[in-house]
Parts: sequence; C-alpha cells; structure tokens
Amino acid sequence: MMETPRIDTDGIVWDLWVRNAEQSPECEAILHWSAGQPPYRWLRGDLLRAAGKYAEHLEGLGVRKGDVCALIIRHRKEFYPIYMAVCALGALPSVLAYPNQRLHPDKFRQGLEGMAKKSGLHWVLTERDLDSITSPLLLREGSTVRGIFFPLEWTEEAGESPGRILHPGVRFGDPFLLQHSSGTTGLQKAVVLSHRAILEHVHLYGLSIGLNPDDRIVSWLPLYHDMGLIAAFHLPLAAGIPVVQLDPFEWVTAPVIFLDAISRERGTLGWLPNFAYNLMADRIRGDDLEGIRLDSVRMLINCSEPVRAESHDRFYGRFAPYGFRRSALAACYAMAETTFAATQTHPGREANRLTVAREAIGKDVIRMPETQEDARVCISSGAPIPGCEMRIVDESGADLSGGRLGEIAIRSVSLFDGYRNHPEQTAEVLRDGWYFTGDYGFSHEGEYYVIGRKKDIIIVAGKNIYPEDIEDAVGQVPGILPGRVIAFGMEDRDSGTEQIGVVAETSHSEDLEKKKLRRAVVRAGMQIDVTISRVYLAPPRWLIKSSSGKPARRANMDRAVVGLDWR
Amino acid sequence: MEAMISERLKKVILRELDLDDFDIEDTTTADMVPGWDSLNHARVIAAVEEEFGIRFRTLELIALRNVGGLQELIDKQNRGSR
Repeated sequence: MMETPRIDTDGIVWDLWVRNAEQSPECEAILHWSAGQPPYRWLRGDLLRAAGKYAEHLEGLGVRKGDVCALIIRHRKEFYPIYMAVCALGALPSVLAYPNQRLHPDKFRQGLEGMAKKSGLHWVLTERDLDSITSPLLLREGSTVRGIFFPLEWTEEAGESPGRILHPGVRFGDPFLLQHSSGTTGLQKAVVLSHRAILEHVHLYGLSIGLNPDDRIVSWLPLYHDMGLIAAFHLPLAAGIPVVQLDPFEWVTAPVIFLDAISRERGTLGWLPNFAYNLMADRIRGDDLEGIRLDSVRMLINCSEPVRAESHDRFYGRFAPYGFRRSALAACYAMAETTFAATQTHPGREANRLTVAREAIGKDVIRMPETQEDARVCISSGAPIPGCEMRIVDESGADLSGGRLGEIAIRSVSLFDGYRNHPEQTAEVLRDGWYFTGDYGFSHEGEYYVIGRKKDIIIVAGKNIYPEDIEDAVGQVPGILPGRVIAFGMEDRDSGTEQIGVVAETSHSEDLEKKKLRRAVVRAGMQIDVTISRVYLAPPRWLIKSSSGKPARRANMDRAVVGLDWR
Repeated sequence: MEAMISERLKKVILRELDLDDFDIEDTTTADMVPGWDSLNHARVIAAVEEEFGIRFRTLELIALRNVGGLQELIDKQNRGSR
C-alpha cells in the first residue's frame, strides 16, 4: 500500500488548500455529479480561483473574520468554492439543510431564528427560491442577520488566483466552522470546531484508514452532516485526493447512482449510514447493475447510526457478484463533537463481530449467550484512532472494566471547543478534558461496540431527531391533550433504521374522530419534516410520568406497543 | 396535458403507505402525502412497477415531480407495450 500523504497540521485550513492547489493545480479535486449531465470536474487550481473570486465578492459586501455564514444551497457545483470563500475570509461557515416542501416555512424560519439567537448568525448565503422565507429575518427587531445573498447569481469574472492574504489574523486555534445539530425548536446546539481540530482530525483519521494517493472517495452524503462535511469534503480536500459528490436526493430516488459512480470513477472509499446498506441491497434491481464493478472499493464505512450485522450481510450478499469484497465492510464511531471519527475498524479487514447475550445487555454486563434466541450480534466500530482515548464509565463517571456496559467517554486532539454560547450544556458533557457522549457501549479486545443511547434521541436514516421536537408539534394538534405526548424510535429491521412512534392522549373515543386525529398527528410531523409511522392514541391519564413530572418515554413506549392499537 | 390519475394507481399508493384514503391528484407531490418520504419512495415505486408490470429508468425516476408525472410514465410504458 502507498503511504498516507502527510497533511500539514501547523497552519490554517485555507493555507493548506492553497498549497495543494499550487503544487498540483491540474489535479482533480471534486467531481460533481448530476443526473443526466456529464460530471463537472473541479481541478484544484480552478476551485481555488473560484473560491478567491467569491471571497472578494463577500468581502466587498461586508463579510469579515468571525462572522457566522449560514449556507443553505442545494447540490450545486458552485457550493464548494462558496464554502471555501467563507473560510478564506476567516468567517465561520455553517452548512444547513435546504428545506424540502414538507417542512413548513414558519418552522424553517423559526429554526434559523433560534440559531441566530443562540449561536449568532450574520449572513445567509442561499438560493433565490428561499428569498420570501429568509428575508423576514432581516426585518425582525434585534436580528443579528445583516444580509442575505444569492451567490449562485453572481457572475464569475476571469481572474488570477488570489495573491493577497484574505484571512487577516486567523490562527490555528481559532474557530473554523459551526456544525449544527438537527432540531427545529430551541434544541439546536452549534459545535464549534477550530482549524486545529479539523487539521489534526483529517491527518489522524487519514492514517487510521490508510488513506493513500490512489484513493478516490464517492459520496452522496449531505454536507450539512458531519459525515458528509468532514469525511467526504474536508478529508479529501486536505489530503489532495479526488471526491465524487452526488446529490443526496437523486441517490435516495435512484440508489444505483452511488454504485455507478464507484464503478466509473474507480471509487475506493465511502461512508454510509446503516439504512443505506438495506436500501441499496433491497431496492437496486439486477438490470440496473449491468456493467457495474465494485472491485475498486477497499472500505465502505458504516457510521452515524447503529451498525447492524444483518445490513452488512444483505449488502455483501447482493453485491459480491459485482466484485464487492467482504473485507470492505468497515465501520466507525463518529460525532461532530470529536470533529468526526473516534474509532475506526482496520483497513483491509471486515469489521469484527461479537455475539453476546441479549438479556445480559439490559443488566449492564456483557457475556456470551446461552441460547440462540438470546444471541445478539454486535458489530465492532473499531479501535480508537490515533490521538483519541476512550473509556467506559458508570453514572458517576468512574471507569468500568472487564467488558462492562457503560457510557462512552472520549478525549481527543480534535475535540470540539464547546457548544457555541451554551456554557452550561458544554459543561454537562465536557469535563476535565473528556467528552461524555451519552452513548452506551463496551470494549472487547481493544475495540469498541456501541449499542445504545442514554439520551432519547431518535436516529432515522442517519439523521438525529429530538423527541421533544415531535412532542411539541404533536401537542399542538387540536384534540390532543397538551403536554401528554411522547415520541420514540422503534427499531425497523427491514429498513435498517428506526421508525418514529408517538403516544398521545386524547379525550376522543369515537373511531372516526380518532382516525382524523391520527392523520392530524402525522401531518404535524410532516410540518417539521418528520415521518411518524405509528400513532397510538390513549385515553386521558394513560401515560405514566417520570420523577420530573413529564411522561416517561421508554416505560410508556413499551406499554403502548403491547397495549394500544396504532391503526 | 394533465394526466388523469387512475384508481389503480391511487390504490397502490394508498396501500403502500398504509393510508385508508387520501385525495391524490395529478399535481400531488410526494411530500404532500402522509408517510411518502424519501425512504418510502423506493417502496412506492417498486409497488407501482409490480402492479403495472413495468420498469422505470433511473433518469425518469429522478426527473419525476408529481403523481401526474408518474401516471404519464405508466401510460407511456403501457402504450409502448401494446
């Protein structure tokens, strides 16, 4: 194997991009794929020149070092230099999801307003279609938003690479970007990542996957997600290897385009949330696979939701005839707070499996199963990457040894600097240099197995959803008793991800009224872009409260599944 | 020309999304229909293909904008197979 390219970690991110472009301006950097069109191939030199142009334009409009710039742009080839331009000025990019039509415009705007209030928002870079939704942000009293730009409409003038320094006084330890968690109400937190965190991470993570100059990454991941932004954008850009960027919406409509891109571009690496393995194995038809070859792939890395053995098996079974190797079934454990990955399975080797007793997991002790029915196959997320240490701890934060199940705590050179403007929330999870993840897992022979969560967060297709957001939306449906709602995730083996269930109390008892109410609950979910698959309606005072006085999610979920009708 | 949505197509969509009834017209888009999210889209399309004994092409699927477009694709394929 060729040696992992050295990524300089002693400067700032923009300088590294400049060096890469100056060394090999004609090398391919980003291959932007769009259905029905030939791929647009950004060369390093052209990409940097375009970024410089956008940066000059933004500077002229008043964007300065430290300003927060929200980027809300669809899959467009211009996105990349626009993002880089924000970085060139020392401003902080924050990539946000472009709202789909399902999301109510008011909810989207509320999310932006919440972000402006909590983490600061100075400029919005978006598309003209969002003008009517975003422009009220400017008019609100006390708004921090200074301007909304539509950079896709700026014509690019010919010019040379920016010779002058565009980032006055930006240092290694300065904040580089904001990564927002999902959440539509007041729950969003912005993870602040410095130049140090990004550069250290891409360097050390590159080592852990044996990144080499022959690698080519293929990705359909949205860039507002840390997996897309760090693994499939910052990593290749810093390491100087090409990345194929596909449209997430095109991929979910026609998942074969991911395999087609691997086959045509000779892709070697990709990151996928677990559901994607099921979707591709189940939904891609044989006649669409004609001519597809997957021999070039050395790692497909499962990440962002619980890794399921069955999903790996299905994917391998389906695509082995097309050259996909079992050794390419990899996994990692990652989160925005550690920039991206904390662990990684070994390159060239399938992720390890461990069969443990299902019943014992609930008792916080890991042991081998005595019966087949009690067996649960866990997939390893690998060993800590260089620069990262991990512990399994109990509720008091004390170490648990000997394969005991507990909370995962991480210390890393690429740890975040806290949640922006949220010192209390930061202090809750960041103590003595350790980040307490809220995820449950255990270690075995030096590798980590992540099997649950302390928090009630729901993960659907790699996207984190706060139950509070759903409960808030459903609680406002006329006929539902306010505050008497719980939302939860339910494992769905078929799709390889979670489905959302809701239990809501109502005084209605007539079947017809309940039917209408169920539909209204589903619609309330749609308005915050959440699909509620099961609605359990319960009579008043059905939900059990926890000690805090709120309905307890897990206890009620178990009761609802057994005792209530959801149709 | 606007495509008339056939009862047969409506029935498949409703069945796949576990809906008793929903007013589906040619201008209806997936995000207007409860449960028709991007993950369930592939299931709906597969069910439509099976029901009508047809196969859509990747580019056709990506270009699809509403149920009217889906009906047109079905009609086109049916005409072609006659």
